[in-house]
Amino acid sequence: MSYLPCGTYFESYEDDQKWWRTPFIKGKMILMVVLLIFLPYIVGSQWLSVAYTINYYILAALGVQLLIGYCGQITLGHAAFVAVGGYTSAMMILFVPWPQWIVDYGLAYPISIVCAGFLAAFWSVLFGLPSARVKGFYLIMTTMAAQWITVPLVITQYVSQIGGRGQSFSLPPGTVSIGPWVIDTDEKIYYFSVVLVLLCLLAMGNLLRSKIGRAWIAIRDNDIAAETMGVNIVTYKLLAFFVAGFFGGIAGAYYISALFFVSPEHYEWFFSLLWVGIILIGGVGSIQGLVFGSIFVVMVFKLLEIGVLGLSEMLMVSYPELGWVTTKIIFFKESAFGLAIIFFLIYEPNGLSYRYWQLKNYFNLWPFSYTGK
Amino acid sequence: MELFVQLVVTGVMLGSIFALVALGWVLIYKCSGVLNLAMGELTMIGGYVCLAFYQRFVTFMPLGYAFFFALVGTIFVGLILGLVTERLFLRKMIGEPILAVIMVTVGLSFFFKGMVFIIWDTDTQVFAPRVFSIEPMVVAGIAVGEVYFWSFIAAMILMVIFVSFFKYTRWGLSMQACADDEMAALSLGVSAKFVYALAWAIAFMAAGVGGTLLGNINGLNYSVSMLGLLVLPVVVFGGLNSVPGAIVGGITIGILQNLTGGYLDYYFPGGIKEIAPFIFMVIFLLFKPYGLWGWERIERV
Repeated sequence: MSYLPCGTYFESYEDDQKWWRTPFIKGKMILMVVLLIFLPYIVGSQWLSVAYTINYYILAALGVQLLIGYCGQITLGHAAFVAVGGYTSAMMILFVPWPQWIVDYGLAYPISIVCAGFLAAFWSVLFGLPSARVKGFYLIMTTMAAQWITVPLVITQYVSQIGGRGQSFSLPPGTVSIGPWVIDTDEKIYYFSVVLVLLCLLAMGNLLRSKIGRAWIAIRDNDIAAETMGVNIVTYKLLAFFVAGFFGGIAGAYYISALFFVSPEHYEWFFSLLWVGIILIGGVGSIQGLVFGSIFVVMVFKLLEIGVLGLSEMLMVSYPELGWVTTKIIFFKESAFGLAIIFFLIYEPNGLSYRYWQLKNYFNLWPFSYTGK
Repeated sequence: MELFVQLVVTGVMLGSIFALVALGWVLIYKCSGVLNLAMGELTMIGGYVCLAFYQRFVTFMPLGYAFFFALVGTIFVGLILGLVTERLFLRKMIGEPILAVIMVTVGLSFFFKGMVFIIWDTDTQVFAPRVFSIEPMVVAGIAVGEVYFWSFIAAMILMVIFVSFFKYTRWGLSMQACADDEMAALSLGVSAKFVYALAWAIAFMAAGVGGTLLGNINGLNYSVSMLGLLVLPVVVFGGLNSVPGAIVGGITIGILQNLTGGYLDYYFPGGIKEIAPFIFMVIFLLFKPYGLWGWERIERV
């Protein structure tokens, strides 16, 4: 919460807790939605795919932000739940004998998204159960175990073998459709992802304004104190795992519409760590931070790709022996991401959202801001 | 029965490598409270560095000497890398929240992994010519691969060296003091910075030797870092801050891994061998969250 502009004050808590506290915030949000709607007309298809990747990371890291940033339960295995969502959705589309009218109305994919969310949520609660007893490092171990058990063992060895299709399920064109709209072009994927992200962020924001959200924050700040104040910590921790898994499942189910296939390599441990890195870069305990972090990471990856490829193309003319650089772009990305996490944690531990908060306050309080620090 | 004995014996020998790496992990945790998730990558770096030295040395000296000097070179590189890593990244994180410190080590693991694959490529590399012969040694009817046997010996020697280093040298004693009560150690003139640097250097050296031995068993690729990550179930089993726990845990996990590989692989084809320690760890955590000999932490509001 940033400071309000000079002269703006509220007389009731309802006003203070409103979504649009001032006309300026309302205008800003409407402007953002308009920008999101017209983005495909502004940028090319290459950047559109960047945009919906950003949206995927926002959706997937939302659960991580909930668990780490709002409930204090450190998780390093969220890709497992996203994987459960993705596989549930893909397998429901491929293998469930849907009645003809459901296929005609294009309801198979929406139904599978909801089912994916719930299945991922239950899977998440299963691995969240130890959180009733352990915390800190030991909880990290159990969530890591969730990753190892789910992705390399259950999904790669058993689920992927169903139907004898080898390692990946590919979705035939036209099967991923919502109602009359078949999701097949970059624009449609983008709009679908924007709608999902806005809905999920809205749900998350509202949850945090409710009793549940306050209980989570109390557990994050000091779980023993929260328990003595009458918060049932086991229930609320498991609820946090449930909701985080649900968001993860939705993220996984959404992303199959962009990929048109699922394979275990999209859910490796790297992605679990990537999403934790995103919230650290953006700012722990802030929904804006989640968005900033996703944009930052995806843009850095993209710019690195453009930069390294361009540089190697330029150098290739005079130094052909440098051709190996292009084949190792993914390792440059990994190294850069690792360094980015380290430097953010050392020099900018509050994340990007803190800088945004400072900027907002500067303008809100101008010209009467006093600079204490 | 013969299969069982053989699996157990090989498991003990494999487990001694895990124990060596876990020793380095426990040391860092005891001295500086850092929970290190980069151990797998440290292990992998050690393997690759040793391979590079070995390929250089083997051109002008006999096989055994080349490997020995390569191992010494790996330990030396590990020392330097450990000191540099601690100085550049970890020292700034003293006193930060647990998540921040853990994520710094995760960032380190990404950085190291990327660097290793940029320099050495992802294909499996083997120590060629072979250091250890492929013929198994048969002792009392039990066939043991030569590489396992020598790994066991090397790991044991190093463990004895490390443990006696803690017990009898001045530096080791200051590390023990720092682990026991940091404030008291500081007031008695122990330099905490020096102790942290030493802990990281030792962890890098132990992981480097472990990586070399693991690389000799199966060849060097990304799976070595996965084996290095097995250090986490090991320390959870033994207790996070217990040196004997690390050794017992390492050997237990080695045996467990071999037994599941030998018996359960038939029923659950695929990667059960790699996953079994983690499944075991989750179940174990539910019953004994602080491991065999870990300190139970009492929390107050």
